[in-house]
Amino acid sequence: MRRSFASRWRAISGPWALLCAAVTCVYIFSLGPILITAAVSFNATNRSFFPPRGFSLRWWERALAPEWIDPLLFSLKLGSLTAILSTALALPIAFALYRYRFRGREALVALTLGPLMLPSLVTGVALLQFFQLVGLREYIGFGALLVGHVVICMPFAVRTVAVGLHTLPPNVELAAASLGATRWRTLRYVVFPLIKSGMVAGAVFAFIHSFTDVNLSVFLARPGELPITVKILGFLEFGFAPTLAAVSVITLILPLILVVIVERVSGLGDFIYGDRDRV
Amino acid sequence: MSEPALRLVGIEKHYASTVAVAGIDLEVHEGEFVTLLGPSGCGKTTTLGLIAGFFPPTAGEIYLKGKPVVDLPSFRRDIGVVFQDYALFPHMSVADNVGFGLRMRNVPQPEIAKRVADALELVQLVGLGERRPLQLSGGQRQRVALARALVIKPTVLLLDEPLSNLDLKLRDEMRIEIAGLQRRLGITTVFVTHDQGEALVMSDRIAVMNAGRIEQIGSPDDIYERPATRFVAEFIGRMNIFFGRVTPGRDVLTAHGLVITAPVPNGIANGAEVHVAVRPERSRLTQDKPDAGLALKGVVRQVLYLGATREFHLDLDGGERGLVETPNDGGAVAFEPGAAVWLAASFENCRVLPEQPVTPHPSPLPIGERGSCRRKR
Repeated sequence: MRRSFASRWRAISGPWALLCAAVTCVYIFSLGPILITAAVSFNATNRSFFPPRGFSLRWWERALAPEWIDPLLFSLKLGSLTAILSTALALPIAFALYRYRFRGREALVALTLGPLMLPSLVTGVALLQFFQLVGLREYIGFGALLVGHVVICMPFAVRTVAVGLHTLPPNVELAAASLGATRWRTLRYVVFPLIKSGMVAGAVFAFIHSFTDVNLSVFLARPGELPITVKILGFLEFGFAPTLAAVSVITLILPLILVVIVERVSGLGDFIYGDRDRV
Repeated sequence: MSEPALRLVGIEKHYASTVAVAGIDLEVHEGEFVTLLGPSGCGKTTTLGLIAGFFPPTAGEIYLKGKPVVDLPSFRRDIGVVFQDYALFPHMSVADNVGFGLRMRNVPQPEIAKRVADALELVQLVGLGERRPLQLSGGQRQRVALARALVIKPTVLLLDEPLSNLDLKLRDEMRIEIAGLQRRLGITTVFVTHDQGEALVMSDRIAVMNAGRIEQIGSPDDIYERPATRFVAEFIGRMNIFFGRVTPGRDVLTAHGLVITAPVPNGIANGAEVHVAVRPERSRLTQDKPDAGLALKGVVRQVLYLGATREFHLDLDGGERGLVETPNDGGAVAFEPGAAVWLAASFENCRVLPEQPVTPHPSPLPIGERGSCRRKR
């Protein structure tokens, strides 16, 4: 009996140990650098050392100066507006694409979801040229960034809203109509509450994508209207100072807090765990 | 009779490649319970959707209490619908589900609360108002759906196969309960089902539908005792069908050379091919050739014991099949398989029906998907 347990353990421990090793590697490479960066930000010396030499908060002091806080707030503003606009546009688009059959639907699907597949670098270059050629030069900066970010973030929102529409129980809209609800009130009281988590998920994805984007932003930013990612990239040209480590940690934590709040308030879990709450 | 609560005139619904409803005229009177009965794909659910206003008819007019409503959207028609899958709102409590129609009519809150409580009492769901639909059993959800449709006091109540998702025992209970509720409230009701048992028990009148048309409309007794077509005869209950030809003397001569003196309907010409139909429970088995009435010779192929009754399946001379149902009176089985017998019936129990080709049915679609057909182009 005991032997059989032992042999069984050996039998499963081989693959099991491999899996453990693989998972550990993944965590080391995904979390390790972040922890090291966080540690580096507390260096007392002028250069980045790990493990940190001494302890000081002077790099944090610099990171919290307007030089860094302004781009950070700019990114937050840009990301939030992008999230709201993307979701607002995604709603009617998802309805049209996934509820109705019409000529040119396939083309429209490809057009909407295209930016998902396209390198955003290309979109960035194209948008830069477009704004210049059309004579909207003065909008390069916040305006152009917002347009670009909505273009690359909206596909996420369209997808999540579409999933919400797909999992809508059949006939609830007809039921609402038969009970006297106009088209608008059916949307307001029945459809929106049932696809809410899809909308929130779309907005969160859009925000994260916007907040972390550098490929597109690098072309459309201008001095004074810099997202934090572009600012970090620019600063890197002068080497990696501990300031950057502190900034990175802030950049990491801020959107995380925001996402957690949104998740708590709206129950994003509903969306992730699918049709838990459906009849 | 005054203005009917619901009137359909020449209603048709065509889709790109199929005709779902091929011309329906129907009057439903105040307080009447009318059932649309037919196999899947016969157009009954589409007809219900047209009355509800979920999609427009291709042709025809619909009147609710005398007012034409074809151009009115669903939410202005004042109809109550109970869907096959109930279509409750999963994010609302039972009370909010039931009160939804009243809220949409801007009824003041205190009155909503009162009417919702009354409706829940009506369907015996007192105390469950705070639950979510997901926390209810199938039968309870069914009651919520019913309460939600009734609370708005609709002109017409439409029921789309509401019992088909329930288990057998519950179905029998709900069928009696719904019929009782309908009579007590006196609410005009159109009920869609493919279950002839439900139709016979619950309805004032039954409209038997086939291939987008109403084949026959009448009381359950009419439909069962005096079917007008072979389709109706075979769809409701079971039928022995024999082929024959109308003689100049207005009798029917069967293929076996038997003369049947049953009344031939006026529409059928002399020499026309007809069906002679007789119910299995109105047929008898005899050892010797009966003196009068229908008499067909055959052999017992199979005897089925069904508890309350026995079924004798016969191979008749000439290749046709026969079925005789006898009550189980506790006596011994009169005939064993292989026995030579006569299938006998009196001519009063024989119906002469016009020749009718058997029509194939298109595949069925639930209401919602039909709705989207309109958009698919």
